[in-house]
Amino acid sequence: MSWIIAIAIIVLGVVLTLIRAMLGPTAADRMVAVDSMTTITTALLVLLALYFKRYIYLDIALVYAVLAFVATLAVARYMEGGL
Amino acid sequence: MSSLILVVSAILVIFMIVGAVVTIHARDLLVAIIASAIVDLVLAVLFYILQAPDVAITQASIMGGLTTAIFLVVIKKTERYEQ
Repeated sequence: MSWIIAIAIIVLGVVLTLIRAMLGPTAADRMVAVDSMTTITTALLVLLALYFKRYIYLDIALVYAVLAFVATLAVARYMEGGL
Repeated sequence: MSSLILVVSAILVIFMIVGAVVTIHARDLLVAIIASAIVDLVLAVLFYILQAPDVAITQASIMGGLTTAIFLVVIKKTERYEQ
C-alpha cells in the first residue's frame, strides 16, 4: 500500500509538469517544465530500483540525471544565441 | 509483473502519445524538438520498467542528449518557424 501512495504522488508530479510542458506559452516555460520533469523522473527511477530490489538500477538513475541535463543545456545555449 | 507496474506503464505510454501529438502539430520547431525530447526521456523510463537497463542508458544518452543537440544545430543554421 505504501508503494502505491509513493509512486502515485511522484506520477502526479510528472503529470503536472507535463501539462505545463504541453500548454506553456513560450519555449522557456516548456524547457523549465521538462527540466523539472527529469528531476522528478529520477526520483521515480530510484523508487523503482527499491521496488524491484535490484540495486544496480541506481546507476541508471545516475546516468539519466547526467544525460537529461545535456538537452536542457543545449536548448538554453540556443535561446541565448550561442551554440 | 504486478498491476502497479502495469498502471505506471500505461500512464507513461499516454505521456508519449501526448508528446507525439504536440510534436506533429507544433508550428514552432523549437517546441517540436522539446516535445520529442519528452517522448525520448519517457521512453527511457519505459525501457527501465521493462527490465532493460542497458537499452535505457543508450536511449537516454543518444536520443535524449545527442539528437536534441543535433536538431538544435540544424534549426540554428536554417530557420525556426515553419511556414
